[in-house]
Amino acid sequence: MQSRRNFMSLAAAQSLLAADNSLPHFAPKAKRVIYLFMYGGPSQIELFDHKPRLAELHGTELPPSIRQGQRLTAMTATQTKFPLAKSIYSFARHGQSGAWVGELLPHTAKVVDKLCFIRSMHTEQINHDPGITFLQTGFQLAGRPSIGSWLSYGLGSENKDLPAYVVMASAGSKIGDQPLADRVWGSGFLPSSYQGVKFRSASDPVLHLSNPAGIDRDMRRHFLDGLAEANRDQQAVTGDPEVASRIAQYEMAYRMQVSVPELTDLSKEPAHVVDRYGPDARKPGTFAFHCLLARRMAERGVRFVQLFHRGWDQHRTLPTALPTQCAATDQPAAALVQDLAERGMLEDTLVVWGGEFGRTVYCQGPLTATEYGRDHHPRCFTMWLAGGGIRPGITHGSTDEFSYNITEDPVHVHDLHATILHCLGIDHTRLTFKFQGRHYRLTDVHGNVVRKILS
Amino acid sequence: MGGIGMVYSTLIAAALLLASAALAQPLQFNRDIRPIFSDRCVACHGPDAVNKGIRLRLDREDSAKADLGGGRRAIVPGKPEDSVVLQRLRTPNKALRMPPSHTGVVVSAAEIAALEQWIRDGAVWQKHWSFISPEKAAVPDGQNAIDFFVRQRLSKQGLTPSAPADRRTLIRRASLDLTGLPPAPEEVEAFVNDRSPKPYEMVLDRLLASPSYAERMAIRWLDASRYADTNGYQTDADRIMWRWRDWVIDALNRNMPFDRFAVEQIAGDLLPNATLSQQVATGFSRNHRGNSEGGIVPEEYLMEYAADRVETMSTVFLGLTVGCARCHNHKYDPITQKEYYQLFSYFNNIGEPGRYLKYGNSPPMVQAPTADQESKLRELRRSLKTAQEAFHTMEGSIAAAQTTWERTVSADAVWMSAEKLESELLPAPVAFDGKKIFEAGDHAQYGFQDRFSLAFRMKSASGNGVILHRMNSDESNPAGYGLHLENGKLQIQLAVRRLDDAILLETKKALAKDRWYHLAVTYDGSRYASGVKVYVDGEAWDLDVQLDALNQDFRRPGMLVFGGGGGWDNSFQGEIAAFRSYSRALGAADAAMLSTADSLGQVVRVPVAKRTPIQRQYLRQAFFELGADASVKLARARVAASAAGLEAFEQIIPTVMVMQERAQRPDTFLAIRGAYDKPGEAVQRMVPTALHALPAGASADRLGLAQWLVDRRNPLTARVAVNRFWQMAFGTGLVKTAEDFGSQGDWPSHPELLDWLAVDFMDNGWDMKRLWKTMLMSDTYRQSSTVTSELRERDPENRLLARGPRFRLPAEMVRDQALRVAGLLVEKQGGASVKPYQPAGLWSENGGGDYKPGTGEALYRRSIYTFWRRTSPPPFMATFDSALRESCTVREGRTNTPLQALHLMNDVQFLEAARALAQRSILEAGPDPASRLERAFQLVLARGPRANEAASMRSMLAYAQDRYGSQPKDAAALLSHGDSPRDTSIDPVEHAAWTTVASMILNLDAVVTKE
Repeated sequence: MQSRRNFMSLAAAQSLLAADNSLPHFAPKAKRVIYLFMYGGPSQIELFDHKPRLAELHGTELPPSIRQGQRLTAMTATQTKFPLAKSIYSFARHGQSGAWVGELLPHTAKVVDKLCFIRSMHTEQINHDPGITFLQTGFQLAGRPSIGSWLSYGLGSENKDLPAYVVMASAGSKIGDQPLADRVWGSGFLPSSYQGVKFRSASDPVLHLSNPAGIDRDMRRHFLDGLAEANRDQQAVTGDPEVASRIAQYEMAYRMQVSVPELTDLSKEPAHVVDRYGPDARKPGTFAFHCLLARRMAERGVRFVQLFHRGWDQHRTLPTALPTQCAATDQPAAALVQDLAERGMLEDTLVVWGGEFGRTVYCQGPLTATEYGRDHHPRCFTMWLAGGGIRPGITHGSTDEFSYNITEDPVHVHDLHATILHCLGIDHTRLTFKFQGRHYRLTDVHGNVVRKILS
Repeated sequence: MGGIGMVYSTLIAAALLLASAALAQPLQFNRDIRPIFSDRCVACHGPDAVNKGIRLRLDREDSAKADLGGGRRAIVPGKPEDSVVLQRLRTPNKALRMPPSHTGVVVSAAEIAALEQWIRDGAVWQKHWSFISPEKAAVPDGQNAIDFFVRQRLSKQGLTPSAPADRRTLIRRASLDLTGLPPAPEEVEAFVNDRSPKPYEMVLDRLLASPSYAERMAIRWLDASRYADTNGYQTDADRIMWRWRDWVIDALNRNMPFDRFAVEQIAGDLLPNATLSQQVATGFSRNHRGNSEGGIVPEEYLMEYAADRVETMSTVFLGLTVGCARCHNHKYDPITQKEYYQLFSYFNNIGEPGRYLKYGNSPPMVQAPTADQESKLRELRRSLKTAQEAFHTMEGSIAAAQTTWERTVSADAVWMSAEKLESELLPAPVAFDGKKIFEAGDHAQYGFQDRFSLAFRMKSASGNGVILHRMNSDESNPAGYGLHLENGKLQIQLAVRRLDDAILLETKKALAKDRWYHLAVTYDGSRYASGVKVYVDGEAWDLDVQLDALNQDFRRPGMLVFGGGGGWDNSFQGEIAAFRSYSRALGAADAAMLSTADSLGQVVRVPVAKRTPIQRQYLRQAFFELGADASVKLARARVAASAAGLEAFEQIIPTVMVMQERAQRPDTFLAIRGAYDKPGEAVQRMVPTALHALPAGASADRLGLAQWLVDRRNPLTARVAVNRFWQMAFGTGLVKTAEDFGSQGDWPSHPELLDWLAVDFMDNGWDMKRLWKTMLMSDTYRQSSTVTSELRERDPENRLLARGPRFRLPAEMVRDQALRVAGLLVEKQGGASVKPYQPAGLWSENGGGDYKPGTGEALYRRSIYTFWRRTSPPPFMATFDSALRESCTVREGRTNTPLQALHLMNDVQFLEAARALAQRSILEAGPDPASRLERAFQLVLARGPRANEAASMRSMLAYAQDRYGSQPKDAAALLSHGDSPRDTSIDPVEHAAWTTVASMILNLDAVVTKE
């Protein structure tokens, strides 16, 4: 079982770089990340970016001076009118920090003092597939490593029995709206051992984890002992150290057969803890269940846990769809932050919440008292971060009165990536991998650490 | 699995080895100096310097040695002390020191020393090695060239080659390398006992002639060509490219010369009198992903597709990363941004849509019948011709009979064609007042792949309103089809979502108010706006296309409604009558016939000489349907049946996406910073000037480009190809960076050998099988792969080749080998991709439909035929480091993870293989356990077990016999995995116990490794 250290020396040897590449580059504030990916593009206007003036402008045209000829998705490019749509949900300030949160997120509202809202996120991507690919890999086309892969490549694992990068996607009826691709947590040009391992809600959370019918654990032990013995003989004959590594991998597989079911078994989790994650927390496959698992993984040293929750794509029928989305995610996400904090783990765990872009202030489709929708909007959206290395209780950046353009402290996706890496003790310009003659980075040739939000 | 358990043999020692080798000899610019400049300096001081206002370039000798002002020169040959480059590398002044600290780039002291030495020695510059044409260095008579070059290098290092591998190891190695399958025990024994002079050569010849050869070789080409069975973006629905995949297998089996292999794939469509096969070959450039997501900007993706083609072509044939020049001049290699777009313009003129169809292939494409389908087609066409001829012979009597029949038609007779007529409604005009609607019931239900026609008469009072629709009005988003009038213009909608998943059309001209029209709207099931026609009083009207983006089926339950609803807010005022729907796309003549206001009785009475062509056709059709006798009807029915049979068969013939050249070529523009919406200067097709010129007379199209790629003067194509073959056999290319032969790529471990092989390849007609034989005949290949600890220390990666290759099998070989040794493998070649076992739910969890595993032989085909869904690749393949087919991949990955162990131990495919292997061993070896074990090992490893292995296996066997003896239920459970039947004559306890032993064998390191 070797390792990243060897791998790094490989990378170093490849490039003959004499630079000090030992990682982390500096003392990290966070040891691990839990990233709650809200796929589809949650509306910042209903949830976080309070725009009271929209109430009086409701139904009037978006001023061209605001739109500035921005490119639109082909879905509204043919629309002739761009009527402004206010949020039909009320907003209030919460906590000591007085952060604005929409009424659909009552639980999030209770933990705002632990969160850092970035209202000035922006991206170039206007469609889901390139949008999520950009957020996940720093590039809009397939082929580059995901954030989690970069982290496991750079920092390795903190545990011996579980993968370094785990992915869980909520089940449910909305999943077909934003299909996911394995490459979203893929390792791109990094070796495939750095790809995210998907934990499923099926009986085998990890593919082929369970022994098959007819082979129990005792027999598997016996099997592995015999296999190791035969393989050791092979190593003696061939002299190849790769054989020893294979023996070690089989042993890790054997340990995972225990560590993974133990991880996903909530029976020893106190009822009051499970309850706080909401009514769905005992249902495998729900976002609530996954949030609880994410905390358990964090406790066990999984470096990067990523949750995907889909269905945030409210082109139409926002008033019926958005409350459902919020109901499924609000309480679990807030509980996760609270739970981590109470265990003293929020200090060194970075929690990230957000989607791949925001939504337009103008209405897509019919605008009535009970029905409206919003198209994709890349020019501003809101995310929140909490925990390791992040200043709690602040709101960073601002947008104009239409939540259309950023007026202060823009944070690009590359900046977010640079900041996440920074929290983990990594200089984003120095975590590189040479491929096709280039020293690739998660942040490509861009990215600035958002220092104002660091603790 | 991140970080954990990751094994990579450390390269440091290898790097030091190569470096020390370098220092022992005089320094060479290409090997020792260029990599330093390239990796540390040229990103700024290179082709892109001009954009940064930097004068000094270290990728060009003239600039590096030029006067930079005041007599200062970066490099002064022979005078390190005057060379500014050394001063700037060594200055203690941080502001002046290179490289600038903010870049994070560092040049080591050893590297600076090497630079100094090189300058002192005269600073001899060389053109980048891979841009210099390869030449064959002399090889002493009677020596194998590979061995000569390898040993030359070894002796410089004071190393000696390893002993030859034993015959058992060797035949397994060669069989895996040439066919992807292990040898059968009989083949092993024959080879081991062969005392003839050239037994090994005969084995190679046999393997090279095996049809399995092409399947083994093709899969790496599929990786490079990013072949897959789905489109790759959001919904990731199926496409059909397997006819191209079969073209590759066929070409490799026929040993098509590599230069032709290249030309047909890049430009087969442009060859004179291109055959279907040559057109199919161009699918190579259509294997890239295609985006069908709603709301994408088509121009953006048109650019991505062409860029992907350029990238794949240049990686596969040139080993150059030209994609770097998409946004700016290449930072390392001599390719300007303009030259990138000149290459790009060879690939962007095929008339494809920017938004691909969600389901199936997107144009351009061709129907590509298989050989069997071809003969069936010929047969169907022949029978159609026969039927038509038989009908034709009756023409004389038909004319006479029609004349006779016409006399019997009464003056008030009425008739309309009933062929494929599905519904007839509103026989008398129905008036609509803008309020009432008419719900006609479940009629005329059609979907996006159906051919259909709607015909009716209509008089509008307002010029606005819904004529008819079949929309699902329960949904807030109405889907279905509908016809609507707006300001007199007829609007046609075939929609799943009006925004982005629909065909929306409008007539250019308006219909007048208050007059009757006959309208016929036809659709040919093509999913394109061009498949919709509108006939007004029998005359085709021009249409404006408002949206041409239908992707999904608009068929909905519900009913046909006239006069209003369907998501529009204005209703019809006027009258509608004589509605008919047909499940065929009516032609112009049909529409004209339907529009004729005359009844049959009136038309018959028009004197023959005065009848219009439409009237003549109308009467002839009426006669066939009403008046013809049984023999005529039968002859017509035969023609119709033959035509229908042919048409139905044509529907199932697979298509394949191909390259085509549009006659009109729009200008290509350099895209500023690579952005599709920022066109710069117009560019013309041309190849990069740093390489050789186009061959004389080459056309300015892909054919000219293809000929340039395989031109004898091309310094790259042969080297790059040979290197990939070497990588397949030896695990690592002679140039380790198989994808990059540019300045940033690795220096070849054996430059003379690479060049010798490349020239030899070209000199011998680009013969791929011959190249394989050359490599495998060498003593270098035939060495034992066992390694001493000293050699491992000195050369962990085996770059010096003092031993034979030993590395884990590629994914497909691990699976194919298990199927083969178990006797389960179905060796059928070609055909649509198949779906072997896969844990339930993997596709649907991602949100993309259900994976339905195949049955029967689909479960046991070679892995090259496994259905490849890009967003959920076959889990076994992905876990075992297969290329993921998103984009061109030419290097093989190799990791070692616990997930692989879980697959091999617990995946049903391998449990079933273990059961079948156990069964074979029991049945073929008889009752003696030692013989059974011997047989199993022989099947899998071409050798018997060693004593220690046998002891482990016996211990497992005894344990399992004991357990299953006391728990027969567990034995039954273990034997239940997999669909294939088991031989029930074998005692279940015994079979189960041996299954665990067989499973252990399939998990052995030796088994998943090529030794």
